[in-house]
Amino acid sequence: MDLQIATRLFLALLGWSLLLQTAEFFRLLTLDRVGSWPIQREEVPSRPVWVRSVLDHVVQGPGYVALLTLRLGMALALLSGWVSVGLAVALFVSSVLLLFRWRGAFNGGSDFMTLVSVTGLLIAQLTGHFTDNPTLGWRAGLWYVTVYVVSSYFVSGWVKLLRPEWRHGHALTVFLDGGVYGPLPAGSLYRHPALAAGVSWSFTVWEGCFPLALVDVRIAWFMCCTAPVFHYLVYWYLGLNRFFWAWLATYPAVLYCALG
Amino acid sequence: MDLTAVLILAYFALLFITLLWSSKVIQGPWLFFLRAFFPNWKFFHAVGHVPHLYVRGQAAGEWTGWYQVYPRLPRRWHHLFHNPAVNLALSHQNLVDHFASDLNALPDGADASQLPTYRLVTRLAHQAIQGDRWGDTPMIAVTLPRVERFQFELRMELPASTRSELMLQSPVLAVWD
Repeated sequence: MDLQIATRLFLALLGWSLLLQTAEFFRLLTLDRVGSWPIQREEVPSRPVWVRSVLDHVVQGPGYVALLTLRLGMALALLSGWVSVGLAVALFVSSVLLLFRWRGAFNGGSDFMTLVSVTGLLIAQLTGHFTDNPTLGWRAGLWYVTVYVVSSYFVSGWVKLLRPEWRHGHALTVFLDGGVYGPLPAGSLYRHPALAAGVSWSFTVWEGCFPLALVDVRIAWFMCCTAPVFHYLVYWYLGLNRFFWAWLATYPAVLYCALG
Repeated sequence: MDLTAVLILAYFALLFITLLWSSKVIQGPWLFFLRAFFPNWKFFHAVGHVPHLYVRGQAAGEWTGWYQVYPRLPRRWHHLFHNPAVNLALSHQNLVDHFASDLNALPDGADASQLPTYRLVTRLAHQAIQGDRWGDTPMIAVTLPRVERFQFELRMELPASTRSELMLQSPVLAVWD
């Protein structure tokens, strides 16, 4: 994929993903009655002292609303294709602040992958700025994102393939039964051991083979076109909508970095 | 094969080798908050005991039964785009997981009630017994009378098993406004 198209798509998809996440954070201002910053702040190391003081101002009350509003604006800017060093730095800092607000992660892996994309954007902007070579900056940033996203599939696939409960298909039924939209109906096809094993093998092998995307651009296209189906199913059964968008934002990087 | 392809191959070979042996888990307060910078990408990989939160309430001197607080919500078409209630519910189960992990790490004889996760789980149990909701879905599956006191338990349970191992039972606590 051409660098210009890859960067434009990457910015738009990252902006869209951040927009959806921020809209959810705004809604959580009224939905969440369990989180309590006075309790959570005790988990933050007491030294250096300024950290807790800064967090007190930006992860609760009007400061938090301002942080989310700023993030919403930055998401819209990315969506429209506008980016600068200042925006990349501000986006990175706001992402780190949100980690503290949500005890390290609000939604696990999707937060991790979003941070990977935001860090990739920061690398692209800083490298481009200090070397006066935006192309080099983008290449560095997109490769950073690519290494992480391909590693995520590779590890996620092989760590399952190495476990007997996944190879036999038993784990698939267990996790789908435990899903937020579960349990599976009594007559679900996933309860047939052979089918559960077949489904488990198909997507874990697919994940484990994801690094092949880097070897040939045609394989990269195949992987990046099938990946949304995989993530949609994860959303459908487990409710992980943020994963869908967070990973989707990284595919332009993979398509750019694929060899050949 | 050019150098880039060789480096890619070497990287993933090394990554695979790291999956074959279990490494020591490095922990620390900063690492806890900044763990997103060091993702391990091991999603849903092992089937084992899962910590579950149970609550009960006391109304007019009578205790209700124990009810599980576990995220179960109906799917809606727009959840792909906007899903705050489900994500909040999942974050609450994550909190229960962290609480179980904190309890395991607690030295013998230490007071669990001083843990931030204990106090947050107390708030979760309180909200559940008070009939709070994840969006439109009640945190516990039944409607209870207004209770004056409540209690919660953390149990370790295997999926598809009736066996349950009690990890912690809270003292009886008064509800608050």
